[in-house]
Amino acid sequence: MNQFGTILKFELKYFFKNKTFVGITIFFVVLIAAVMFFPRIISIFESDDPDEGNTPFSKPVMLVKTDDTAKEDAVKDIFETYFTDYDVRLATENIEEIQKMIIAGVAECAFVMQNDTSFTYYVNNLSLYDTNAEIASEAVSRVYQMNAMINEGISAQDAADIINFRVSGEVVSLGKSQIQNFFYTYIMIFALYMVILLYGQMVATNVATEKSSRAMELLVTSAKPTSMMFGKVLASCLAGLIQLIAIFGSAVLFYNLNRSYWGENMIIDSIFNIPASLLVYMLVFFILGFLIYAFMFGAVGSTATKLEDINTSVMPITMLFIVAFIVVMMSMTSGEVDNPAMIVCSFIPFTSPMAMFTRIAMSTVPWYEIAISIAILVGSTIGVGVISAKIYRMGVLMYGTPPTIGNLIKAALKS
Amino acid sequence: MELELLNIEKSFGDKKVLTGVSFKAEGGKAFGLLGRNGAGKTTTIRILMNVFPSDGGQVLIDGKPIDYNKIKIGYLPEERGLYPKKIILDQLVYFAQLKGMSRADAIKAIDYWLNRLDMTEHRTKRLDTLSKGNQQKIQLITALAHDPDIVILDEPFSGLDPVNAMLLKDVVKEQIAIGKIVLFSSHQMSYIEEFCDSIAIINKGVIVLHGDLRDIKRDYPRDRLVVRTQAPDAIRKDFGSVCSSTEDGGLMIRLSSPSEKQQIMMRITENYDIDEIKVFEPSLNDIFVEYAGDAPKEA
Repeated sequence: MNQFGTILKFELKYFFKNKTFVGITIFFVVLIAAVMFFPRIISIFESDDPDEGNTPFSKPVMLVKTDDTAKEDAVKDIFETYFTDYDVRLATENIEEIQKMIIAGVAECAFVMQNDTSFTYYVNNLSLYDTNAEIASEAVSRVYQMNAMINEGISAQDAADIINFRVSGEVVSLGKSQIQNFFYTYIMIFALYMVILLYGQMVATNVATEKSSRAMELLVTSAKPTSMMFGKVLASCLAGLIQLIAIFGSAVLFYNLNRSYWGENMIIDSIFNIPASLLVYMLVFFILGFLIYAFMFGAVGSTATKLEDINTSVMPITMLFIVAFIVVMMSMTSGEVDNPAMIVCSFIPFTSPMAMFTRIAMSTVPWYEIAISIAILVGSTIGVGVISAKIYRMGVLMYGTPPTIGNLIKAALKS
Repeated sequence: MELELLNIEKSFGDKKVLTGVSFKAEGGKAFGLLGRNGAGKTTTIRILMNVFPSDGGQVLIDGKPIDYNKIKIGYLPEERGLYPKKIILDQLVYFAQLKGMSRADAIKAIDYWLNRLDMTEHRTKRLDTLSKGNQQKIQLITALAHDPDIVILDEPFSGLDPVNAMLLKDVVKEQIAIGKIVLFSSHQMSYIEEFCDSIAIINKGVIVLHGDLRDIKRDYPRDRLVVRTQAPDAIRKDFGSVCSSTEDGGLMIRLSSPSEKQQIMMRITENYDIDEIKVFEPSLNDIFVEYAGDAPKEA
């Protein structure tokens, strides 16, 4: 136990003295600070220049040309209500000139009405997300409907009321709302993925470095291989956790400092309103998922003779993890997190940290399923830990061609 | 204190590495474990240090099974290696702590050894900034800082310049003088001869020769004479085929039996003008080549 503590402290110190580790952490904290303070900084510039008015950016120009000058004002009104992001102007030029203006960038786009029921939309580069034509079509048809009603003898006011009548509806989600939890689940899964892969690789490289520098020769005679393995893995787990807490903690802190400047941003709001129970699950699955992978990475690292062997040796583990990640990500974006693949994955120890966590976050999972999944994961982590320690014991003193994983496991089980 | 290995057996898979390895090493004396590459020296040392268990046999201290919690062992591995990118003091403290020392004690001991080995100025440098010989001295500190009862030195002199070799010799002599068991493993026979009172030669996992070095030499068949003379030709003519030249310009006369020794010596001293005549005593090198060669002799 004493030895284990010494090793843990030594390895942890390695992380905090490692310039890359500290650099990356600081980089992320600064980046998050920059993002979180952005609205506040913008608002400072805005209040400094009262002459420019309330809009810091001038709106793009949208030209509207009608077939009948008598309707011009009504059409302009309608377009202005539908396109609040645009500076809607009436055009008197002919079509060729309008096209030239758009190409020259004087105006961004233009609607040319042929008659009451048809128009042409001109735009320079049509964006993938351009819905102006659809919006205009709705606006124009509404004008048409209103005119038709007025012609039938309904007063303009009544016609407007009928047209603009909105049915009120409310959505009540009894389970979980994916609209709310998608973003934070995404961020957490991604963090889990990055941290496990990065730190797992680090554990493997670390072990292989000790072996190739022959520091291992002395280490194995000074400490128990199990202490060495567990010390190393737990140190990197702690370092990863501390890094995550530093990054997410600073995000929460900076957000709260600038909360008033963010206003009603649904995505940001949802990210910072993660239920506490989910954070606990995150912690549980992070630690278990990290350990099970780090043990495997450590065992594989111990079988490599040279540092260059590491990349190929860890490939199977990395692949396994990436497959789990892809299944989870695809299920998340499809909205169907309880599909059969995810249900199976949420009980397999190597995929459950991500799969079960996603299901808990984005769907309603019965408590016993969660309990079973965690129980399997805990059992497997202990099992993998014990086998890895045995492989490590044999691996660290073995030089030459790395043995196959099958042979190692066989030998480990035998001993 | 006396360290004894008794009938140690070890196999890796189907390969038998050690067969009935037994030897004794006493405190206050240096013991040489000799053998060719792959003979089983490192495996023996690792079993002695409890890196892995033996398949059979025992490691005894004063006749009782060794208690690794009580007996401290210091080890200088043949494959030198520490953390090249880490601060020297940090890693020395780390290794000393792993051996059970407190941080304060470790720093005190390490400072003593850094000073003793003229390395104090490198205390807070990174290991890879040091020359090979100096790195080796740092490595030596990991073997000695925790004041071990048994010091195992595997090829301690390789890569050291004569001044550093002298320094190391003094350190080793000190360790022997304060009663520690010093176990040498080396191919440099001159150092073994200089330090070791007793040796064991291991060949293909079997101890082929074991005992006090002087006894071994004395027990060697005394059937050869070495003669130094200014006029070797006459002797050569007289003795014919039993006379051969030695590497350093002397003559070697092989006797048909050790009992002839006195008679032949008298005959030579009476008849020829010689500078020196003595019974040939094999060097450790000769013994090693003979026992650790491809056809091992039974001891």
